[in-house]
Amino acid sequence: MTSSGPRTPGSAALVRMVAAREVSSRLRDKNFIVSSVVILVLLLGMMGFQVAVSGGDEPSRLAVVADDGRLGPALEAQGEAVGVDVEVVDVPDEAAARAAVEAEEVQAALVDGTGPAPELVLADRDPALEAVVGGAVSGLAVSDRLLEAGVDLQSLPEVAVSPIGGEEGDGQQVVVAIIGVVLLYGLLILFAQFVAQGVVEEKASRVVELLLATMRPWQLLAGKILGLGLLGLGQIVVIAVVGVTGALALDLVDVPGELIGTVASVVAWFVLGYAFYACVFAVAASLVSRQEDLGSVLAPASMVLVLGFFVALQAAGDPDGTLATVTSFVPGLSPLVMPVRQAAGEVTGGEVALAVVLMLVTIALAVRLGGRVYSGALLRTSGKTKLREALRAERG
Amino acid sequence: MLEFDGLHKSYGPNRVLDGVSFAVAPGSMFGFCGSNGAGKTTTMRIALGLVRADAGEVRWQGRSLDQALRRRIGYMPEERGLYPKMRVGEQLAYFARLHGLDGAAAARAAEHWAGRLGLGERRRDPVEKLSLGNQQRVQLAAALVSRPEVLILDEPFSGLDPVGVDALAEALLEQVRGGVPVVFSSHQLDLVERLCDAVGILARGSMVAAGPVAELRRRESGRLLRVVVPDAPPGWAAVLPGVRVVSEQAGDTLLELGPGADDQAVLAAALRTGRVAHFAWREPSLVELFREAVAEPAGEAAA
Repeated sequence: MTSSGPRTPGSAALVRMVAAREVSSRLRDKNFIVSSVVILVLLLGMMGFQVAVSGGDEPSRLAVVADDGRLGPALEAQGEAVGVDVEVVDVPDEAAARAAVEAEEVQAALVDGTGPAPELVLADRDPALEAVVGGAVSGLAVSDRLLEAGVDLQSLPEVAVSPIGGEEGDGQQVVVAIIGVVLLYGLLILFAQFVAQGVVEEKASRVVELLLATMRPWQLLAGKILGLGLLGLGQIVVIAVVGVTGALALDLVDVPGELIGTVASVVAWFVLGYAFYACVFAVAASLVSRQEDLGSVLAPASMVLVLGFFVALQAAGDPDGTLATVTSFVPGLSPLVMPVRQAAGEVTGGEVALAVVLMLVTIALAVRLGGRVYSGALLRTSGKTKLREALRAERG
Repeated sequence: MLEFDGLHKSYGPNRVLDGVSFAVAPGSMFGFCGSNGAGKTTTMRIALGLVRADAGEVRWQGRSLDQALRRRIGYMPEERGLYPKMRVGEQLAYFARLHGLDGAAAARAAEHWAGRLGLGERRRDPVEKLSLGNQQRVQLAAALVSRPEVLILDEPFSGLDPVGVDALAEALLEQVRGGVPVVFSSHQLDLVERLCDAVGILARGSMVAAGPVAELRRRESGRLLRVVVPDAPPGWAAVLPGVRVVSEQAGDTLLELGPGADDQAVLAAALRTGRVAHFAWREPSLVELFREAVAEPAGEAAA
């Protein structure tokens, strides 16, 4: 025996070794690589589609001849009011303006905007832009006339805006949350399945007996869930970063801060949801010895996940309805429903905290009870083990 | 000393082990025999902590086995098990690390054992691509890679061709020479007889015979009498006092004589039936010792 003889690895070291093996074997798995790339491509494709659909969002460039300093701001204000982005470019004279339109440097040119005979020169007709220009020019003219007539414009009533559907941009947040929930659902299913397949692989190949001769069942379970969980978290973070960066770069969102908040809450709920479903799936998988039998034991837990997914989609439309409100506290459903309600701005911090605590308690229970079933069922490699048998056979 | 001391285990009403005790000295090989379902696997699993004994314990060097001590045991389960998609070299290194070797030592040990067992060129192949014989070698390498202090092997020879059997036997003998106690179970009694310093025969949950093969033989010899009486009617010897019929086939009779039985009385009885072709004490083979040991006690009542 040489100096580098064996020592006893602690629990943390064992869990780490199991986790590292899970990660490295998944990273070499072609299916995993392909699915990761597909998800990213889909996400980028979705953003590309958004850009294409809202292609008109590119600001309309408008040349203004000899602006006295009031026309530009008026045009931009009017544009904003009707939802058309207008970028005003100053040109010295009419000839330069026509040249700019012909060269397609600008979409249109406004000649003599404050004069008696304003003219809009366009390459192609553009009703939105025409309306913006028309509104701005006439508005300016009206106020000029009123000023000349000595009317006090300061005392005009202003309209106070009070949106009922929550703060501005919530619609967009909900869309982000739905995309997030679709991803969350997909990744939860994917990674919980990975855990389940790994458990059955170890049972089916009987390698589990060799593993359990060196470690306790809970260490094996923890390493497996942690390793795949880190991989899943890595994947959702990459998707989140690419998604947020892409959305910001392509200017798809109005309120970047809220986007990041929503994405962060989706990622956080992934962690909770994964901890729960990975544990439940692993324990269910430990009851069978062949991959073929996996479907039947995973069905109940999968149904809950699917249910959560559809409730979350429904919640996006009706975030403060009874169904959404109740399910956002139900452990197992909350990771999918709560992020949507959070994005819609329908919940208080206290409510979120309550949902998180309920979820944590459930996870603790699942780990405790699941660990016992897992221990009892792992070495029963013939056919399907009943839940009650597994609990009784636990070796501790 | 590796000591199995008074192991009891029941699954519900089914009593699997009923006080199994035996000891294996360092540097010796112990063959573990018993009919299917006699409790061999359960005994080994208890040693590895895979099954909890209802009573009794397993000790190594006087200390009751715990998780840390168990890490020094090399184990080959009856149900062979490896990760099918993991490469041979990485798999061996993984098991070495689980047994407490650090990364570099584990990699070296994996390479060493892969080379030793003729798997050097397959180190980078996934296990599932290997032939069954080679997978068996990987399994053995997985048991040896952590330089165990104790080897416990459940049916290590099953499914091996004669060349594989010799290679495995050689590997185990080398471990024994290095001072490792080796326990293995097997149905191949000729192998057990050839390799083992001592054997244990398990029947109905308890050790019915244990000790060096030569000693077991000696204990039994002088008690077994083979008498060939071609003309004798079946059951001719059953009425003799202190005599038990072990087997009887067309007059070829194997008799076990109790302490007070008289061999000359047996001869006289044999002569009464007609011609006596053969009459001699015989030294039992391990197969016979085994049959004798595992025979149902109720066999005394049955024919």
